[in-house]
Amino acid sequence: MFLKRWSVAIAIWCLFVGTVGAGNASPTPMDFVKERIDQIITILNDPTYHTPGQKGSQRDRIWEVSQPMFDFKEISQRTVGPKWDLFSEAEKEQFTHVFSSFLGNTYIDKIQGEYHNEQIVYLKELVKEPLALVRTKLVRESVEIPIDYRLRKNDNQWKVYDILVENGVSLVQNYRVQFRSILEKEPPAELIRRLEQKLQEQNQALQ
Amino acid sequence: MKNRSFTSIALFTVALLFLIGCAGATRSGDRGTPGELPSDPESSLSASTSEGENQLSDEELLLLEDDSDWNDGPTEEIYTVPDPIEPFNRVMFTINDKLYLWIMIPVAKGYAKVVEPQIRTGVKNFFFNLGAPIRIVNNILQGKGKAAEAEVARFLYNSTVGVLGFGNPAKHHDGLNPDPEDLGQTLGVWGIGDGFFLYLPVLGPSTLRDTVGFVGDRYASPVGFVEPMELSLGLSGYNVLNTLSFRTDDYRTLKDAALDPYVSFRNAYIQLRQSKLRR
Repeated sequence: MFLKRWSVAIAIWCLFVGTVGAGNASPTPMDFVKERIDQIITILNDPTYHTPGQKGSQRDRIWEVSQPMFDFKEISQRTVGPKWDLFSEAEKEQFTHVFSSFLGNTYIDKIQGEYHNEQIVYLKELVKEPLALVRTKLVRESVEIPIDYRLRKNDNQWKVYDILVENGVSLVQNYRVQFRSILEKEPPAELIRRLEQKLQEQNQALQ
Repeated sequence: MKNRSFTSIALFTVALLFLIGCAGATRSGDRGTPGELPSDPESSLSASTSEGENQLSDEELLLLEDDSDWNDGPTEEIYTVPDPIEPFNRVMFTINDKLYLWIMIPVAKGYAKVVEPQIRTGVKNFFFNLGAPIRIVNNILQGKGKAAEAEVARFLYNSTVGVLGFGNPAKHHDGLNPDPEDLGQTLGVWGIGDGFFLYLPVLGPSTLRDTVGFVGDRYASPVGFVEPMELSLGLSGYNVLNTLSFRTDDYRTLKDAALDPYVSFRNAYIQLRQSKLRR
């Protein structure tokens, strides 16, 4: 009798600890990406933002949700490449700030303008600590676009540091080649200035 | 007679250059040939999680590989193609840009408004199906027997069950969706380098090797054999318009996201072709 009750207690305890344990386990890279993207889609579909004049606040909200998904410091370093060493500490910070704002503006505006309930299919995740690759596919009418997220684990937290479109076209590499051609002729300050100028143009256009 | 066919081929090529567009560096690997259907090695909606199932293919390993050599000194592992005629290419880029933004994209948008997606998808499938013989030949030339067989099977299946290729029932079968191969890739597999970068009128980004391959593929395309020539050109042009109608916003997206659009398109094209060569 006692034994039976004891075993039930243990069973319940195991169950409880099990669920709590599962809850505490850090999410897999795919869960992490999916959770964030689902949140963004929720905001996109939210009727509150479908009234005129709400585009700006919707953009801010998407930015808020998507920011934790990316490691902008890592993205900035990789985008600049070996020339990162030429940047002073202040310039590194400036660059990271202006480049992440530029990316946010560019892509959030696109997503807002072009999202029409496309389906996102999560194909698989590949983990090779501290790196991971989450493979997804954007399904639109009859066009499918493969999109892969490269993640890196820092302080026990997965963050995206590069996005690959069409099976291997890296966004980071694309920007790196563009910035490299500028940095070959100009100092880092000039690259930052040009990004800031572009950012201003964007902000005016988004007003 | 012989003269006439030569003239018609020459005319055909020139006119094609004017009719065929390829959306910048978007899905352009199959430029001018029927709209490419994405191949998905696994159409399962479920994710394979847990380390046990993580069997990495070579290609995936490459995608996963950390390119953290950015701080390993001055050398970088980025594949680039020489661009000796950059000033000319940049002029072409500007001309194409206007052609796209002012003419081709508005026309494709109007067409997409009028014609239902189902019909446009059918048209796309039809042209893609017509390209099967060329892809089969290129697979054989590259020694990809399995993919060639898959292409043959898909061609037969979509031509019959898919009603002359308007439908694409093969899409839902694993193993019937090999990556599309073209002559540019075949030449690459044979060890011929890219040569140099070219920005072609209307066609957009290319390299010397891929341009040669493109002309060869066009020459073997069934659409090229349609008589009279005007009809053949009309068909090619229509196919291009139809393909573009699915991706009218992509060109702008890419352009707006760049600090130097020309360099961005060049790199995106080279990266895309490299990834196709790997597969």
